[in-house]
Amino acid sequence: MSKIVEGLYYAESHEYVKIEGEYGYVGITDYAQHELGNVVYVDMPDIDDEVEAGSDFGAVESVKAASDLISPVSGVVVEINEALADEPELVNADPYANWIIKVKLSDASEVENLMDAEAYKAAIGE
Amino acid sequence: MHLLQQCAIEKIHMVYVNLPNESRRQLSFYLAAEEYVARELPPNDYFFMWQVEPTVIFGRNQLLESEVDVEYCRRNGISMFRRKSGGGCVYADLSNIMFSYITPDSNVNFTFNRYMLMVEHVLRKLGLDARTTGRNDILIDGKKVSGNAFYHLHNRSIVHGTMLYDTDVEKMARATTPSDIKLKSKGVESVRQHVTTLNRYLDISIDEFLQFVRVNMCDSEILLAGDALERIEQIEKEYHTPEFIYGHNPAYSVCRSVRIEGVGELQLKLNIKNGVVRKATLSGDYFHVDDRVDAMLEQLQDAVYEESALINAVKDVDPSSVIMNLTKEKLEKLIKTFFDYGE
Repeated sequence: MSKIVEGLYYAESHEYVKIEGEYGYVGITDYAQHELGNVVYVDMPDIDDEVEAGSDFGAVESVKAASDLISPVSGVVVEINEALADEPELVNADPYANWIIKVKLSDASEVENLMDAEAYKAAIGE
Repeated sequence: MHLLQQCAIEKIHMVYVNLPNESRRQLSFYLAAEEYVARELPPNDYFFMWQVEPTVIFGRNQLLESEVDVEYCRRNGISMFRRKSGGGCVYADLSNIMFSYITPDSNVNFTFNRYMLMVEHVLRKLGLDARTTGRNDILIDGKKVSGNAFYHLHNRSIVHGTMLYDTDVEKMARATTPSDIKLKSKGVESVRQHVTTLNRYLDISIDEFLQFVRVNMCDSEILLAGDALERIEQIEKEYHTPEFIYGHNPAYSVCRSVRIEGVGELQLKLNIKNGVVRKATLSGDYFHVDDRVDAMLEQLQDAVYEESALINAVKDVDPSSVIMNLTKEKLEKLIKTFFDYGE
C-alpha cells in the first residue's frame, strides 16, 4: 500500500506537486519510488531552468531503471534539493519530504489538470 | 516467477522494427530510433536488433572519464555515446548485437522480468544454458553474455541490452577501463564482470543467429522509412550535443600532484560540474610568499575544464608573487598535467 498525501496534486506519470503560495515543490510519489527500487542518482535541472507541464526536467535512476521526470507544472526552477546529490536514497526513505525541485509557477491554474489524492489513489488501483 | 515464465513462453504479440540498412549508422541513430518508436508509434510491443562499429556507451548518470579510456578510444576510432537508460558502461562492435525492446508496460519489475525471460527462452531454444540474474544480466557458464538497461519515458518503457556474439573482449576491456582511476564521482559506477561470447557455444553464423532470434521473438513487422527516418535523425541530434555527452556528467573532482623544481610538491584539485570548474584547491609543501593563494585559485573558478581555458584563466596572475619560485610556466605545466593522458 503506497503512501498518498492529502492536499497534494498528482500526475499520471507519478510526480506530485505541493503548492505553497506562488511556488510548487515537485517530487515523485511513494508509489513511483517503490516501483523504481533503490534510487542511486537524481539527475536534476539547474536553477533558473524553465520547466513546462508535461515535459521532462530530469530523471531518477535506480538500480533497475532510469525514469524521466515529467513536470506537472510550468515555471522556473528556483531551488533544487541539493541533499539528493549526496544522498539520492532519501527519495526512497520519504519521497514527500524529499521534493526534487522548487518551481516558481507561471500558471497556477495548471494544477486543475492534475489529480487529487483520492483520484490518484484510484489511478494506481489502491 | 513460475507464472511469469509461463506467460513469457506464451508468446506476446511483438512487432519487429525494420530499419533501412543501406549503410551502417552510428549508435545514436538506433537510440533515437528506440525513442521514436516509444514516442510516436501506437502502443504495441516492438523489438529490433542492430550492430555498430566499435563504440562505448555509458549510462545516463555516469562520469565519462571514470568509465572510459578516452584517449584509447580516440586513438582507436572508438565512438563514445551516452545513453538515457541507467546502469554501467558497455562496449559494442559489429559482433556485439544490440537488442531493443519497447513496450507500453510501465511496471519496471514486471517488464524487465518478462523481457529477460523472453530472451533467455530464445537462447535456451538454441540449446544454450542461459540464466537470467537479478542484475539484469544473462549468463552462460556463470559468465555474462548480455547486460540490459531500462529507460522509462512518458507512458512507455525501453529495455535494451547487449548480446556478445564474438566480440573483441580485450579491446572491450581496454576501452572501458579508465586511464585515471583516481577520479571520484558522485555518479553511477559500473559493475565489472567476467564475460563470454556466444560463438564459443554455437555453430551457427551471426546472421543465422539474428534470423533465429527475430523469428522466435516476433510475429509481425514494420519498416521505418521516409518521414520516420527524418524524425529519428532529428531526435538523434540530442545525442551528439556536448551538453548531453559531457554536460550530464555528475560533479566530480580531479587531482594532480607534481613535484616542481625549486617549489616543492604541489597538489591541485579541481571540482568540476558540467564541464566547468566549480572550485580549485591547492596543497603541498611549497612556501607562501603571501596569503593570496585562494585569490589566485579563484581565477580558475567558472573556467571551462579545458587546457587552453584554464591557462587563459590565470594569464593575468603572477604566481611567483604568491608561491615562492612558482613561475607562470611552472603553473601552466601543473595545469597541463590534467590533460596529459600519456601513452
